[in-house]
Amino acid sequence: MVALPKHIEAEESYLHGGGILSWLTTIDHKRIAVLYGVTVLFFFLAGGIEALLMRIQLARPDNTFLSAYLYNEMFTMHGTTMIFLVVMPAGLGFFANFVVPLQIGARDVAFPRLNALSYWIFLFGAIVLNVGWLYNMAPDAGWFGYANLTESYYSPGLNINLWTLGLLISGVGSVLAGINLLTTVINMRAPGMTFMRLPLFVWSMMVMFVLILVAFPPLTVGLIFLAMDRFFGTHFYRVVAGATPLLWQHLFWLFGHPEVYIMALPAFGIISEITPTFSRKPLYGYPAMAYSTALIGFLSYGVWAHHMFAVGMGPAADSAFALTSMLIAIPTGIKIFSWIATMWGGDLKMKTPLMYAIAFVIQFTMGGLSGIMHAQPPVDLQQTDSYFVVAHFHYVLFGGTAFALLGGLYYWWPKITGRLLNEKLGRLQFWTMVVGFNLTFFPMHLLGAEGMPRRIYRFSPHMGWDSVNLLCTIGAFIMAASVAILLINILLTMRDGELAGPDPWDGRGLEWKIPSPPPAYNFSTIPIVRSRDQFWHDKYGYESGVVPPAPLPAHENEDSGHIHMPAPSIYPLLLALGITMAVVGMLDWLRVALCGAALTLFCAIAMAFEYREAGSENPEAVGIFTGLDNRKVGVWSFIASESLFFASLIATYLVYKGRDLGGPTAETILEMPLVIGTTFILLMSSVTMVLAQEGYRRGDRTWGLRWLFLTIFFGSVFLAGQVFEFHTFYTEGMSLGTNLFSQTFYTMVGFHGAHVAIGVIILLSLVGASFTDWFKERHRDIAVECAALYWHFVDIVWIVIFSIVYLMRSIAKA
Amino acid sequence: MASHAAASGRKGWRMSFCLSNPLPCARALSPRGRSMVNNLKSYLRRAEFAALVAMPVLLAGCNPADFPASTFAPRSDLGHWVQGVYLETIVWDSLILALICGLIFLLLTRYSTRAREDQPGPPPPHGESIELEIAWTAGPALILLFIAVPSLRIVFRSQPATPPPHSLIINVTAHQWWWQFDYPGLGVETADEVHIPVGRPARFLLNSADVIHSFWVPGMGGKRDVIPGHVNELTFTPDTPGEYIGECAEFCGLSHANMKFRIFVQTPVDYANWLANQTSGPRNANQGAAAAGEHVFLTSACTTCHAIKGVSSGYIGPNLTHFGSRTTFAGSIYVNTPANVAAWIEDPEALKPGAQMPPLGLRGKELDQLVAYLESLK
Repeated sequence: MVALPKHIEAEESYLHGGGILSWLTTIDHKRIAVLYGVTVLFFFLAGGIEALLMRIQLARPDNTFLSAYLYNEMFTMHGTTMIFLVVMPAGLGFFANFVVPLQIGARDVAFPRLNALSYWIFLFGAIVLNVGWLYNMAPDAGWFGYANLTESYYSPGLNINLWTLGLLISGVGSVLAGINLLTTVINMRAPGMTFMRLPLFVWSMMVMFVLILVAFPPLTVGLIFLAMDRFFGTHFYRVVAGATPLLWQHLFWLFGHPEVYIMALPAFGIISEITPTFSRKPLYGYPAMAYSTALIGFLSYGVWAHHMFAVGMGPAADSAFALTSMLIAIPTGIKIFSWIATMWGGDLKMKTPLMYAIAFVIQFTMGGLSGIMHAQPPVDLQQTDSYFVVAHFHYVLFGGTAFALLGGLYYWWPKITGRLLNEKLGRLQFWTMVVGFNLTFFPMHLLGAEGMPRRIYRFSPHMGWDSVNLLCTIGAFIMAASVAILLINILLTMRDGELAGPDPWDGRGLEWKIPSPPPAYNFSTIPIVRSRDQFWHDKYGYESGVVPPAPLPAHENEDSGHIHMPAPSIYPLLLALGITMAVVGMLDWLRVALCGAALTLFCAIAMAFEYREAGSENPEAVGIFTGLDNRKVGVWSFIASESLFFASLIATYLVYKGRDLGGPTAETILEMPLVIGTTFILLMSSVTMVLAQEGYRRGDRTWGLRWLFLTIFFGSVFLAGQVFEFHTFYTEGMSLGTNLFSQTFYTMVGFHGAHVAIGVIILLSLVGASFTDWFKERHRDIAVECAALYWHFVDIVWIVIFSIVYLMRSIAKA
Repeated sequence: MASHAAASGRKGWRMSFCLSNPLPCARALSPRGRSMVNNLKSYLRRAEFAALVAMPVLLAGCNPADFPASTFAPRSDLGHWVQGVYLETIVWDSLILALICGLIFLLLTRYSTRAREDQPGPPPPHGESIELEIAWTAGPALILLFIAVPSLRIVFRSQPATPPPHSLIINVTAHQWWWQFDYPGLGVETADEVHIPVGRPARFLLNSADVIHSFWVPGMGGKRDVIPGHVNELTFTPDTPGEYIGECAEFCGLSHANMKFRIFVQTPVDYANWLANQTSGPRNANQGAAAAGEHVFLTSACTTCHAIKGVSSGYIGPNLTHFGSRTTFAGSIYVNTPANVAAWIEDPEALKPGAQMPPLGLRGKELDQLVAYLESLK
């Protein structure tokens, strides 16, 4: 791939060795980051070409270069691609994956094989999203896919099927990556790397991981409803059944606005790395920066309806969401001023990364300021769905985020490849990008002010939009030229670029301490952290001359001379393939779906045994700060995300309660005695689970197995009760699509039942493992504990569902 | 001599900036003075160039006649309210942007060390000031308060709990991809063109026959989504007679771009005349091509979808009772001329992708007669 610098022992670099197969089976976070990077670059070019085709179409009025259908496909896939396949994976997959472990002094992420799995799922999701191009059936209802246009009555083709399933699949990959990296940051920091010593890049990423966990479930639920409407005859968004298409808008924007910050936070992090390095000053106002990052993440979850001011929610809701939206400007302002103050008085080295950072600050500010305009409902009524908004979010996402990502690329490229990008070409690329970007998107403010709506494939010549549109098109081509210069730069420097050495920028973070490109194991000895910007202080000492004390080396790993790295595995790739087959099989191919499900199950079990055969428990599996096993932190993160999933299902049930136009309701059909019995049994299974856990902790196999079996039995009884209940309802004439009650009830209770079933499978696998050598291992009780956590969580969810569905119904009846 | 004086003048200018510098700063003044001045010159040149480029664009923006859908030419109470808030925000935004750009400009001119980047000296000094941090937290909060208060007042004023008295109610039904307007109680139904009197509140009750659309009249001050199964409302009082462009602003499928409409704001007298004409039946076509055209209309598939008062009662497509009195058709994208109407009837799909009207196979004389009939429906 990259010709290696001579001063690095070739076999040590993570890029060294192996053919294609080694890349397919890699579980090294740096190699996975490179895979993400290459994929993102490919889709960036694809999304860019889609944008250019749209700009050609809009270069003059009444143009016929693209048909209406093709144009709608283009803007749908441009948005979907740039958001889900470029900006988000660039932050989450590429930068976070490569840089976060290096900056916190870790040798890999918490779950290396899960990391590979996330990448392959993302890749397959991306392929499903784009495969429609081959049949001229690419998605065509916008990246926001507003119901009820996406219902099969209005969009009968394969287009929206592919969009729904592709997003579902790639969403799974994102959530898994979020869980993995969040666990990494919580648990795998080097000794002394407290939260208030984390580089701000890691802070931003950490908030972003949390946002991914809480933001994706509403989208997943929305997409599941859409898939059920399209495949199984429900009507979650069908007006004729009493449903409202606004449900989709709430679920989508509940995801969609945090998503904006999922894309922007990596940019904030990158700028917070570049500005101190190239000013040779520490980041200004570190605590305020860290807290404002967290605050932005928190606020972003409460502003979703500012995308819906035109919906007519009423003045009270409009005002509330306007105020929360404007509040976000305060922590964002703190960030902008702090970046400026960081550079103020520094030795500014005007290299390409810093130039990108400065352009980011100005352009992101402009995007933020236009955002303040449409945070106000009255102004929003003139701006929303016009080109003004197109200008706004491109200033945020391109002039802001993409500029930061490009700056980050120039910044960390030498660490990734060992060679510097050419600085002269870099400057040329920067300036063409600035000119092209502003020429394309600034005039769009004017277009919006002159009343041009978004998403129109043609416009009439009498509207005064001609010359401005032409200007935008010219700008788009200048941007394309700039991207070409970047590619040329990469190709030219790949083999004979200037060698970077470990620390080309006089950096501050731990990543600059190790060779470029880093060895597979990153750090030969895990660094000890005494303060913020540890590496800088290693080089320049402390201002007061007083060296802070080292943290206690509470690390069994303190260089034993033998570094355990987990072995490569093909199962992540196969497992991702299985999941994709199972989901895509829903389209029409039952056999494909069944094969996929079988492959998924096989790979999951094979992975569990593969881990044991490798014989080495991950030496860093217990966090030195938390004292918790990685797996436990991972399960807690997963449960957080699952809570939001069930919350979305329950919220939908409550929203649709009482809106039925006829048919059975909770009051008329539910029978209490059976459910009270199975509920009691499920709650008892939590008790038996605790007892089983105690057996495993003590190493008493008979005791452990006895209670584990009883737990499985109770779970199965609960499931049997549910099957019986569903069967009774079905014979009474309530099928999935009968009315709003039937579909929300079956979906919510059914998904809970599926969780119980998966819990039973997990417990059964523990039973099987208990008869192998695994039972003699030291950490066996951690696996049981994780399973127990999940089991208790599922029980708690049932208590909520039981109260809302069954108890509320009894109260209503009484 | 002169150049020396100029140089010292510049130095003085720089001094004053340094004194007003609120942040801890230990930079020496002299070493980079000259490069700083050169930088400054080049920046000024760039700014001049940018202004030259921007001027024509800005000037062009000032002539409303060239921009029939401009959001900056409000002609209703709602429009004026919105513009008030809009302009106020633009002023605040410009001030903030100027501040940020000014700071960045100073940064670049003062601290850029491109010339000696390869000889790193000791790390520059740094310090933090809690007062500054409080200032840049409280300052924006205060500005937001200035912006939010008037804006929220407009939110409540533009969505009153009780509709204004004497308002003219118009039921709007959005279809893929045209607009239906009903005047309840008056028996008037039009498509793609709606007439309202000046000075009287117009209350548009919005509903959709299929997917979500959005009802946007830039000249009247705003838009409101049109959602199936949910009646929305947009109310405003126009203050100037004229023709205003309306657009569908929410993506609604294949021909979203071809879903415009027009609002004709008329003087009370003109409006009364228009209304009188609309409430009457269509003019009888009792002779010539138009009479033959009525026969073509009645014997072809037209009647399945289109209503003409006293002639046919279809309801899927636009009501054609006074088709000839409209200036445009087909989502208000084509001017209502016999040639355009003939082209439309021959192949609707070619003029409007996804149009639900099928080609009727009418040609030659029959087609001309049908067009003559439709145009006679004044």
